[in-house]
Amino acid sequence: MSSARKIKANRANARASTGPKTAQGRARTARNALRHGLSVSVSSDPVFSEAVDALAREIAGPDAKAEVLELARRVAEAEIDLRRVRYARHQLLNSPLSDPDYESQARVREKDALVYRCMRVDGPFTPMPYHVVEFLDSKPEGPVKLAMILSDKARQLLAMDRYERRALSRRKFAIRVYDLSCK
Amino acid sequence: MASKRRRSNPKTKSMTSVPTRAQRFAFFGPPPLLDGEDAALYDDLVGRMCAAVKPVDVIDELYVASVVSLEWEIMRWRRLKFSVLQASVHDELEGFLNERLDYEAYAEDFAQALAEILMEILQESPQKDLAEEAKELAHQYARSQPDAVKRVRLRLTAAELDADQILDQVKAQKVQELAQEYARREPEAIRLVNELLASSGRTIHDLVLEALPRDLDEIERIDRLISIAETRRNISLREIDRRRMVLGEALRRNLQEVEEGEFEVIETTAEGQNRVQARRESRTGRSERAAIRGRRSSH
Repeated sequence: MSSARKIKANRANARASTGPKTAQGRARTARNALRHGLSVSVSSDPVFSEAVDALAREIAGPDAKAEVLELARRVAEAEIDLRRVRYARHQLLNSPLSDPDYESQARVREKDALVYRCMRVDGPFTPMPYHVVEFLDSKPEGPVKLAMILSDKARQLLAMDRYERRALSRRKFAIRVYDLSCK
Repeated sequence: MASKRRRSNPKTKSMTSVPTRAQRFAFFGPPPLLDGEDAALYDDLVGRMCAAVKPVDVIDELYVASVVSLEWEIMRWRRLKFSVLQASVHDELEGFLNERLDYEAYAEDFAQALAEILMEILQESPQKDLAEEAKELAHQYARSQPDAVKRVRLRLTAAELDADQILDQVKAQKVQELAQEYARREPEAIRLVNELLASSGRTIHDLVLEALPRDLDEIERIDRLISIAETRRNISLREIDRRRMVLGEALRRNLQEVEEGEFEVIETTAEGQNRVQARRESRTGRSERAAIRGRRSSH
C-alpha cells in the first residue's frame, strides 16, 4: 500500500505530464488522428456505414429479428474496420512498390555519402569509378525494393498492426456473441 | 424504361439471383495483391481453401477470406526472406569476386570492349580495314605489349577516355555475370567460383555467414511479420473449428428435437395401436434385413 505522501507525489507528477505544452507540440498532436484516419469509427463515415449495413444484412439474412440484426451489425462493423486497416496497410506498401522512382531515405543518404567521399578522395573533376556510377544510377527492384519499403515504413506498419489486432479481436468476440444469439 | 426499373429492382424473392461464391468473395473487397503478384494464384488459393473448409454461412466466408489473405501474406514474406538472403549472398559473392577474380578471366572481354571503342575512335581517321586494326591493337594492349599500350593510351587520351576505367567496367560486368551464372547453378561458373574460394581458404558458407549480420534487421522484421500472420491465421482456423462445434451442437440438438418429436406422437386408439404395431414390425424387419446384409458383406 502506497503512503499518503507517495500518492500525493504521484498525483502531482501526473498533473505535470498532461501532454504537450508548447504551441508547436500542441499543433503536432492535434493532427495525430488525421494521419491515417483509422481511429475514426466506421459508423461515422457514410460510405463505410452503408457497407456495414449491407454486410450486416448478408450475415443476419433477410428475415432476421432486430436484436440479431444489431449483433450482426457489430460483426459487420468490426469486419469493415478490419478491411479498412488492411487496405491502408496494403496501400502503404503498394504505393511505393508501384512507383518506379521510389528511393528509400537510407539509400539516398548512402548515395550522398559515397559521392562526397569520391569527391574528397579524387577531387571534384575526376570521373567516379564504374561501380560507384552504377550504384548511383541504380533503382531498387523486386524483393530488395519491398524489403527497403518494409524497413522505411516499419513504424507506420507497427501502428497499423495495432489497429488490425484490435479490429480482429473485436470481430472475434462480436462473432461469438452473434453465434450465441443464433443458438 | 419500366422494364429496366423492374429488372434492376426486383420485388419478389424469385427474381433475386443467389450470389455465387466468387461474387460473395468479391464483396469482401479486391484481393490484397502487391504489384507483380499473380491474381490467378490468389484465386486458386481461395478455391482450395473453400473446397477444404466448405464455408456454411457468411461468417465462415469472412474467416475463410481472412485465412486466405493471411496465408498469402505468409507465403509472400517467406519468399521475401529467401530473396533477401539470396540477394545478400549474391552481393557478398560479387564483392569477393571483385577482389579475387584474375585478370585472365576477363582479359578477352576487356580486349573486345577496347576493340569496339578503338573502332569508334579510328573511324574518324581515313584508314582501311579498321576492325582488324582495332582488334589487333586491343589484343596487344590486353597482353600489355609496350608499343600497343603507348598507342592505345594516346588514342584514348585524345578521345578523353581512360583505359583503367574501361578495365574497371569490364571487370564489374564480368563479376556480375559470373555471380548470376553461379546463382543459376551453371557448372562452369560453379567450378570457377569454387576454385577461387578454395584458393582463399573459404567456402560459400563463409560468405553466407558474412552476409547474414548485415541483413539481420531485415530478416528479423520479416520473421516478425510471418509470425504475426501465422498467429492470426491460426486464430481464424480455431474460430472456424469453434463455430463448427457450435454448429454441430446446434444440429445435434435439432436432430434430437426432431427425433423426440417423432416419439411423442402416441396414438391410443385400437386403430392407432395397430399402426404402431405395424411400424414396429416394419422397423424390426428392416433391422433384420440390415443385419443379414452386414453379415453377407463381412463374408
